[in-house]
Amino acid sequence: MERIYFDISATTPLNPKVGEYMYTLQKEVYGNPSSIHREGQAAHAVMEKSRRQLANVLNCKPDEIIFTSSGTEANNMVLKGILKSGDHLISSSYEHPAILKVLPSLEEWGIEITLVKPNSSGQITVQAIESALQDNTRLISIMQVNNELGCINPLQEIGEFAHSHNILCHSDAVQALGKIPLDLQRIPVDFLSMSAHKLYGPKGAGALFKREGISLDPLLHGGGQEGNLRASTENLAGIGGFGLAAELAAISLEENTDHINDLENCFLSHLDDLEINYFINGKNRIPGVFNITFPGEDGSSLVMKLDLAGISISFGAACASGTSNASGMLLDMGLSEADARASVRISFGKIHSRKEVKKVIDTIHSLIKHSQLTDAIEG
Amino acid sequence: MPSKDKVLVAMSGGVDSSVALLEILEAGYDAIGITMKLWEYRDVGGNLLEDSNCCSVGAINNAKLVCDRMGAPHYTLDFTGVFRETVVDNFADEYLAGRTPNPCVRCNSFVKWDAFIEQADQLGATYIATGHYARIIQTRNEYHLAKGKDSLKDQAYVLWGIPSETLRRTLLPLGDYTKEDVRNIARKHKLETAETPESMEICFVADNNYKRFLKNYVPQEMEAIGEGEIVENSREVVGSHSGYTNYTIGQRKGLGLSNPEPRYVSKIDPESNRIYVGKKESLYDQSCRVTQVNWLVESPCFPLQVHAQIRYNSTEVPAIISQDGDTLTVQFDTPQLSITPGQSIVFYMDDRVLGGGIIELNSWK
Repeated sequence: MERIYFDISATTPLNPKVGEYMYTLQKEVYGNPSSIHREGQAAHAVMEKSRRQLANVLNCKPDEIIFTSSGTEANNMVLKGILKSGDHLISSSYEHPAILKVLPSLEEWGIEITLVKPNSSGQITVQAIESALQDNTRLISIMQVNNELGCINPLQEIGEFAHSHNILCHSDAVQALGKIPLDLQRIPVDFLSMSAHKLYGPKGAGALFKREGISLDPLLHGGGQEGNLRASTENLAGIGGFGLAAELAAISLEENTDHINDLENCFLSHLDDLEINYFINGKNRIPGVFNITFPGEDGSSLVMKLDLAGISISFGAACASGTSNASGMLLDMGLSEADARASVRISFGKIHSRKEVKKVIDTIHSLIKHSQLTDAIEG
Repeated sequence: MPSKDKVLVAMSGGVDSSVALLEILEAGYDAIGITMKLWEYRDVGGNLLEDSNCCSVGAINNAKLVCDRMGAPHYTLDFTGVFRETVVDNFADEYLAGRTPNPCVRCNSFVKWDAFIEQADQLGATYIATGHYARIIQTRNEYHLAKGKDSLKDQAYVLWGIPSETLRRTLLPLGDYTKEDVRNIARKHKLETAETPESMEICFVADNNYKRFLKNYVPQEMEAIGEGEIVENSREVVGSHSGYTNYTIGQRKGLGLSNPEPRYVSKIDPESNRIYVGKKESLYDQSCRVTQVNWLVESPCFPLQVHAQIRYNSTEVPAIISQDGDTLTVQFDTPQLSITPGQSIVFYMDDRVLGGGIIELNSWK
């Protein structure tokens, strides 16, 4: 069965160019970047090339990029490396678990935490953050783009607000990099977490932007790599792949956005043509990500039925055991429990076609029609 | 090619359900593996075998691995809410009421089958299948639940409460196998789960320490239960005990009594926090009352002559059932030892399960 993968927000397939480059690195550049000899120098050059590629994309200095194993690690570095007992953190209730599940440890260390909720459009506003402000607020951490909704937060305003109050600002930008422009000369954040596998790069490669002059305690101690901030022999192929993937995404950002916007139009008009009952959750979204409610349906069943029909979408956020529950975030935004359960995430990207979009909606249409018919028969 | 019937296979991550999946596929069905996540161990602790217990991430991973190898899709469904409300809360309530519950029966009766059939309807599956050691027998247009071939592993006893209308949609592919057969099939196919340990305990009390569990789960109620009196011959106080929830009917050890002839717990009274004890002969009863009855046969006629089994792993004995409204009275041919309120009583005719119910305290006790 030919499958259609509409779960681009969960992860992306590897760009073949990135894959080829990584294979070459694995084969030919085996040196340790810390070594003095030629092999080490060659490896070191790959690292620095990648760092520059990422810095160019973000409009920051290469030395402000620290390579990590993941976005999760980058988030942990900031939260655990900055906050001390007695500090206050403002974050949001709809952060990824890579933030939310770190918080219990912070609380144990004596750190105060306030989580602000998204408004009904799915955004965290500066007003909401302001109302959570305390004298001891040390850090504000708000994701750039929400993973379940695709909604974009006003990061520039949030960063400006933080700085005007002498507070550090971090953003989990894992869902944003490669999808929308991120200019760190314009957006005044101090830290930004990123991951390669969301932009057609490899899994196991992430990065943290740390603005020059800000000090941070490392999580990992050891060989002094990454400016003493992230000990471990570098994942050279992963890092090389990350740099190239970020560069390729940036080069074709406009073209991809146009293409995905065209798919979005096709998606919405086809839903309307088939008179499917639906609504979209959240406003100001990145292209290609829909948190969509089909009233009366069971979201998790729809995900399974589509999977059996060869189409991959998601319900809630994926977790290790593969179970999922109605999203608390949707309830926070004002949806009923039933509508929250009837919601799924559909995300597509540059690799998809109008034909695939139509096929997905046709399949959803037939599955929904079938379940409505069964309901009618069973009365 | 005509499309094959779809079967939802319940996968716990153990050897039995893995072989059940294999059998379903070999019988020519289209299989979908489903793991029901029923319990979150970190909530109430006690998991000594984190990697292999049912519902742990390790068990779910096992199930996924086996399904993937056989080319069957696998999904994990979250039933923690309904399991807690229907099974675990009841387990605690029953102990607090001085009774001895059987949560596996309740899970099969009210969680597994219902939820599973509903999921089968959602996914367009004709049948559900599990790795229980029991059989479904079809005679003409009727479907009966019967004991499994392996008398040591037979699980028909814990299935008396499943809705009778689900029998025609249930497949039990291990009914004709012994446990050894199943392990051998798993080994032959090099299934990852071939050597998974046998689970004998209640799944959500993995350390088998139900006192510890109750202390964690209902701490306030358990703290309120202090020491109480041990009473013999209905009135004579012969000692004290550490709280009535620590005892079950027929228990001999831990009473702290030093009679030459051993004493056994014969009755538990939560109201007065009293434990009643007696000599072994006082534990025998010729009859019991039964409520929460479920029949797996159509319109049984009373008085009904059956073989009755009063606890898991006890042999069944001849008895006659009479009916009074929703309550049954079961008269045994010979007196039975330690008929325990809260436990399941299951009625058989030959190998067939006719139905069952929950044992109640006899009114004269």
